[in-house]
Amino acid sequence: MDIQQWLVFLIFGLPLISFPFVIGVGYIKKNLSMYLGTAVIFVSFLIGLYVFFNYTVNGIVISASVNWLPNLPISIPVGIYADNLAMIMVLMVSFVGFLIILFSVGYMAEDPRRHVFFGEMVLFTSSMLGLVLASSLLMLFIFWELVGLCSYLLIGFWYYKPNAASAAKKAFIVTRVGDVFFIAGIGAAILYSQGAALSVANIKAGASVIPYVWQRTIVSLLLFGGAIGKSAQFPLHVWIPDAMEGPTTVSALIHAATMVTAGVYLIARTYTIFTPLSLAVVLYIGVFTIILSGLIGLVVNDIKRILAYSTISQIGYMVAALGLGLGATSIGLSIYQLESHAFFKALLFLSAGAILHALLNTRDINKMGGLWKKMPVTITAMFIGALALSGFPLTAGFFSKDSIISASYSVNEIAWVLLATGGFLTSLYTFRLFFKIALGKPKTFAAEHAHEAGILMLIPIVILAVFSLIFGLFQNGFYTFLGGAKATITSLDAIPAVLMLVGMGIAYYAYGRESTIPEKVAKASGFLYRLVKSKFYLDVLFTNVIAERVVLGFSAVMDGFERRILDGLINTWGYIFKNAGLSLRKIQTGLARQYALIILIGLFLALLLLRVLMYLGVFH
Amino acid sequence: MFEINYLLLVLVIIMLLSVVARRGIARIMTALLSLVIFAFVLMNNMNYTFNYSNIGILSLVFQLNFVSSILLLLLSFVGIYISIRFKATPGFQILTQFLMISLVGLFTTRDFIIFYIFWEMVLIPTFFMIGMWGGKNKDYAAMKFFIYTHVGSVFMLLGIFTMYFQEGASTFNMNSLISGLNNIPEVYQAFVLFGFIFAFLIKLPSVPFHSWLPDTYVESPSEGTVLISSLLSKMGAFGLLILFIPLYLNSTFSNSPVIAEIIIALGIFSLLYSSFVALYQNDMKRMMSYASVGHMAFITIAVGGFLYLVTTNSSDIIAEKLLFYGAVFQLISHGIIISMIFSLVDTTEKATGTRLISSMGGIARKLPGLSFLILAAFLASVAIPGFSGFVGEISILLGSYAVLKYYLVLVLLGVVLTASYHMFALQRSIFGPYNEYLGDIKANKNELYAAILPLALIFILGIYPAILFGFFNLANLPFMGVLP
Repeated sequence: MDIQQWLVFLIFGLPLISFPFVIGVGYIKKNLSMYLGTAVIFVSFLIGLYVFFNYTVNGIVISASVNWLPNLPISIPVGIYADNLAMIMVLMVSFVGFLIILFSVGYMAEDPRRHVFFGEMVLFTSSMLGLVLASSLLMLFIFWELVGLCSYLLIGFWYYKPNAASAAKKAFIVTRVGDVFFIAGIGAAILYSQGAALSVANIKAGASVIPYVWQRTIVSLLLFGGAIGKSAQFPLHVWIPDAMEGPTTVSALIHAATMVTAGVYLIARTYTIFTPLSLAVVLYIGVFTIILSGLIGLVVNDIKRILAYSTISQIGYMVAALGLGLGATSIGLSIYQLESHAFFKALLFLSAGAILHALLNTRDINKMGGLWKKMPVTITAMFIGALALSGFPLTAGFFSKDSIISASYSVNEIAWVLLATGGFLTSLYTFRLFFKIALGKPKTFAAEHAHEAGILMLIPIVILAVFSLIFGLFQNGFYTFLGGAKATITSLDAIPAVLMLVGMGIAYYAYGRESTIPEKVAKASGFLYRLVKSKFYLDVLFTNVIAERVVLGFSAVMDGFERRILDGLINTWGYIFKNAGLSLRKIQTGLARQYALIILIGLFLALLLLRVLMYLGVFH
Repeated sequence: MFEINYLLLVLVIIMLLSVVARRGIARIMTALLSLVIFAFVLMNNMNYTFNYSNIGILSLVFQLNFVSSILLLLLSFVGIYISIRFKATPGFQILTQFLMISLVGLFTTRDFIIFYIFWEMVLIPTFFMIGMWGGKNKDYAAMKFFIYTHVGSVFMLLGIFTMYFQEGASTFNMNSLISGLNNIPEVYQAFVLFGFIFAFLIKLPSVPFHSWLPDTYVESPSEGTVLISSLLSKMGAFGLLILFIPLYLNSTFSNSPVIAEIIIALGIFSLLYSSFVALYQNDMKRMMSYASVGHMAFITIAVGGFLYLVTTNSSDIIAEKLLFYGAVFQLISHGIIISMIFSLVDTTEKATGTRLISSMGGIARKLPGLSFLILAAFLASVAIPGFSGFVGEISILLGSYAVLKYYLVLVLLGVVLTASYHMFALQRSIFGPYNEYLGDIKANKNELYAAILPLALIFILGIYPAILFGFFNLANLPFMGVLP
């Protein structure tokens, strides 16, 4: 391998190799793990920067593959493939990962198991980097599962909390449902392309790697099934809100900035094989998810869960952008939204983390209030994050989201209306959250005594806030770098911006001051409110009906069948033979006269039978 | 050259030594026996045929092929692991050695009668292991195990005799009997195939012929469970891969995929059924017995899928090889994983005094080491990448898309359910708040250290699976579609 291939390998290989050491040094001194873990990810980021500026910007695609099972007569490539798309993701993942891990140094400083935490965070970051650099679908899947595993472990990091243990299980199983579609998709890709479509480079080269359209539709829809699970789109979005039981930095890294966008990355990576039919499915799932989770975000009171629903909805924009079917432009729109979302959502989660840190883990926004005065830096950063999330003009979210909304106008007008409505909902729930936290009077004792977090936690927040503000500068360079069309701002862009401001205004009117409007609206809308408040009964359907009643009930029935009927049948055979033996034993009396009688009767019967058979003509 | 006749002689001498020797030696002898087997496999390049002259109707041909070498490697691992991990009595060790010798014979012979003799010989030590060291229901379990599996082998014996007499053969040599199968009337061929598949499916086991398994696994002593689950279930898989596939392809049924379809259906049914039942189990050992059934169901699916592809002349070489090699990999991976799991369940039972999942809870708080190992073993069983379970399962799943198309969704449902019951059990046993009724619990340190051996192998095989196939020059091996 050449030097550049080694470098690309080291981007994810270095943290992957060093994660056992990160845990290991924790047994000597726990703080060492924190420093080592942070340093490793930073080095990864630096290598990524070096590769990016020396090779990728010059148009050099670095790739290397080895056969995963040498000696087997088939080739299953695993290796690295670092093109523009992958390297942009690498920079984002390692940079945001580094900032969040830096924040964790302050956030987790008192946790007794922090060495394990940092080890798992490093493993996660390396798996995510491996995922984006994968050269084949199989390798992508391997890391896809590993990030899922890290997500499981980190959600359940505080495993002694019953909610955390249950949420970890739920997240694992729900994403597993998506994963199996991914497996089927890889299987289909192997079958239809004789193995050629395993390689990312072959897929990127053109759709003809899989000959027929119907085959491409099957493969792409199956892959999209995997993306739905991982990227929490309807109907498999139910795991993310529960996953908020993990430490907040985990939510920031895994369930906002990186892992949940892996599904979007997968679609972008295999974009050539998506046919118009599967793109339509992608578009409508994305749009539907935006509206659904935007509505739920309006009524939830848990600060982290609001952000979780917002994440679902923002990923919906990325998915919808891909579903527009504009080729490289779609990828550009989607990945740009992905990256700007990573910045401002990580910012929001980290400031939420700082708030939770100050408020002794109170997560109910009704128990906060008036924090702007207590924690000026954090809340100002959060304000920037909220502006960016809702797409306030000239922030990162404006450039990323409004471009998607405007681009959809020429493709599908229904989608345009729904996407713009989604933008309105976004600003409504974002500023409901923000005003309830920042303005008004402190509602609880904890909120009154909140204080600013340490400097180590503020640095990442400030850096992310700066990026959320200025990321818009890179928009055009970003699109052209990914091979899309240049972005133009037209008068169409005004509509989502106006809707956003309206939403912000309503939020201020209803939540920014003392008001009874929310209660009145809730009462007036009656059933609708209950429907949204209960999350459209999807959680009830999945957890209480399908998992607990149908599956567990069916398994109880099967268990009864197994024990009673199937095993009973086997035991009945045994019983029959045993009892037959017991009753036949009685013939053996040992009395010679009886035996003689039986012999006589037997002889008589045998002769009679012979006679009958001869009469019937069997013998002559 | 380390010949097989010397091997069997050495093994029997080792066993006799442990019979006459003092206490404690037997355990070392088991390890020594395993090492000898390991050396034997390595020294014969894992691929060798030993031809001795016939004795009357018995043909003394022994063959070390791809599958049997892998199974002998697994055998030597299990032998070493058992002797490190468990402090069993000398009597138990001698039975273990007897079992291992029988398996060496079983996996290498190319004569049907010798195969049958070894097949039955395996039952004897197992019967005594369960019956003497078992749990409170041991007599019932031992008898059920013995009779149930014996019923299957009777049909296999009848099948062997049918072939022998119908073909008018002079010896019971496998190659000649198998290749002559298509000359006899079709009814007899059907009976032969039925006899073999019946015996193998019982041993594997596949639902609905699995009723002996939960009782056997639960009632056996832990060392016995490890032996039975990791080795005895492989007898059925070995039979399917090495005997049933050639038998089927040499019969006149080989151009119709019906039997292959039935096998796939049985495999899928087995996977789903065992997953659903496992979800409801409260006894961890019983739950893992059903998990074992589920893992073996992948091998059934793989064999069925392989036969389907070959019989329909699909010429989809990639899928065929994924299925076949996936099944072989699943053999060794399942053997290692399940022996680790059952020994950890044993450690847990000793530490907490219970095997019931509902009576545990939060033991990660008190026993982090044990909990880490259980977590790792369960993740390996769920087939997470990096663990060896992944390689076999993903190969079989990827290959079976070519066979099953949208029916694959049933298998995938089984995969999700497998993940579900593992995670459900983890959540209730090692995670969650600590169950204070357990009091102050401690795990045996040595038992935890012993679990590092299988864990290391699981990781090595999972991260670099090529190491297993790397021993073999697979390109030159006759592929199993033709006679081995």
